[in-house]
Amino acid sequence: MIHMSNVSKIYENGAVALDGVNVDIEKGEFVFIVGASGAGKSTFIKMLFREELPTSGILTVNGHDVVNMSHKEVPYLRRGLGVIFQDYRLLPDKTVFENVAFAMQVIEAPRRLMQRSVNAVLDVVGLREKYKCFPAQLSGGEQQRVAIARAIVNDPAIVIADEPTGNLDPDTSWDIMDIFKRINKAGTTIVMATHDRTIVDTMKRRVIAIEDGHIVRDELRGGYGYEA
Amino acid sequence: MKLRTSEYFITEVFHSLRRNNWMSFASVGTVAVSLFVLGVFLTLVLNMNRLASSLESEVQISVYLEDSIKTSARKDLQKDLENMQGIESVKYVSREEAKERLTERLGDQKYLLDALGDQNPLPESFELTVAQPDMVETAAKAIEKMDGVEAAKYGQDVVKHLFDITRLIRVFGLALMVLLAAATLFIISNTIRLTVFARRKEVAIMKYVGATDWFIRWPFVLEGVVMGFVGGTLAAIALRSFYAAMAAKIYNTLAFFPLMPQYPFMNYVTVAIILSGMAIGALGSAISLKRFLKV
Repeated sequence: MIHMSNVSKIYENGAVALDGVNVDIEKGEFVFIVGASGAGKSTFIKMLFREELPTSGILTVNGHDVVNMSHKEVPYLRRGLGVIFQDYRLLPDKTVFENVAFAMQVIEAPRRLMQRSVNAVLDVVGLREKYKCFPAQLSGGEQQRVAIARAIVNDPAIVIADEPTGNLDPDTSWDIMDIFKRINKAGTTIVMATHDRTIVDTMKRRVIAIEDGHIVRDELRGGYGYEA
Repeated sequence: MKLRTSEYFITEVFHSLRRNNWMSFASVGTVAVSLFVLGVFLTLVLNMNRLASSLESEVQISVYLEDSIKTSARKDLQKDLENMQGIESVKYVSREEAKERLTERLGDQKYLLDALGDQNPLPESFELTVAQPDMVETAAKAIEKMDGVEAAKYGQDVVKHLFDITRLIRVFGLALMVLLAAATLFIISNTIRLTVFARRKEVAIMKYVGATDWFIRWPFVLEGVVMGFVGGTLAAIALRSFYAAMAAKIYNTLAFFPLMPQYPFMNYVTVAIILSGMAIGALGSAISLKRFLKV
């Protein structure tokens, strides 16, 4: 599903974010990316949906050659991915329903599917009743659930989450993790960058630890194992 | 483009125009003013051209005679003229007839002639019609050298001046148009830039969920086109009433003036102006998108 071979990223100012990274992530895996701020976690995540391009190496995501693809193909790479951010990134003047439907609208999905698919994903995240609310009327956890609904409404092969629980209290974070578990159980690959030691230690999933641009640890049923 | 997508674009455009109402207003206003000025120059130049060519096709030479000429010499001259190659007809205009014509032409202002009393300062003349317009100049030059001829005047003189003036107006109008077009492009692209800025979050999300570049760009381009269309329409409406008013004035005072008839001429001008407005709008957006919307 994701294949990185000797991937490096050097920014224009000379900062080395990633240095010779080799990773393979299979379909249906649930992977945590851990590491201190500035270790290269964000770069790793951003390269997956081609927000950043590797400076060298081979990167394949969901069958797309990320490095050599033309600019025109980028939207089609992203349609196979669901991206979730720490700050939710919802549109404040659209309702919950509209925020989720927006993701279908902009890829010109058939309208008859829209109502059904949006309702289905709102069920998954437990926000079916709040479909008429605006983001400002929701709690942080609820807003993040809307963002998850939006990420999965186009049925992506991979969900990429960059610190999705970073702004949330522990209880709410667990609600979010439960949703991720369910999505993963349905067969979707999940790659999640996080700082949350408790979540990583409790979930017992694959952990990739990045330090100074290198992968220092890659364990199948790992823990956070790392003094922040 | 799919129907629901067009629907989406159209609602986006109107949302956006409302959100930036002042900038949209300014853009539409600038387009309207610029295109109005363009239209004024366009109609002016086209009318001057028409006037010039209608004068050019008037193949008449007025041959003014010296005051001292004797009747017999005048008759000889008339014969010579009649025998000249390319001259179709020769008509004698006496001094009295010339004065009568002038009185008629002055109309309400004929009192100006009262000051002259019984004097008649006008010369005798022949009116010549020439077979072909391109022969006028050589014929007039030859006639001027003949005995008893004071001067041979023809329309081409006026035409030459008219063409000079037309060229001046054209150059001046073009320079002004380029300037106004640049200002309009600047204002439109600025408005679109504001729109892009106001919608940057939306644009970012569109990119993350896999919208294509053109899907993202279309609403902005359409917004520019709509602004150009509205501005162009306003300019066309203003120009039409302006032209109608001017035409009425000109017909009242200068009835002989060969003005372009309003229809269908103004319809073509209207279409041209609205299309230019839309083109300017699209171009303004394109400039803005290239610089500010890295998709």
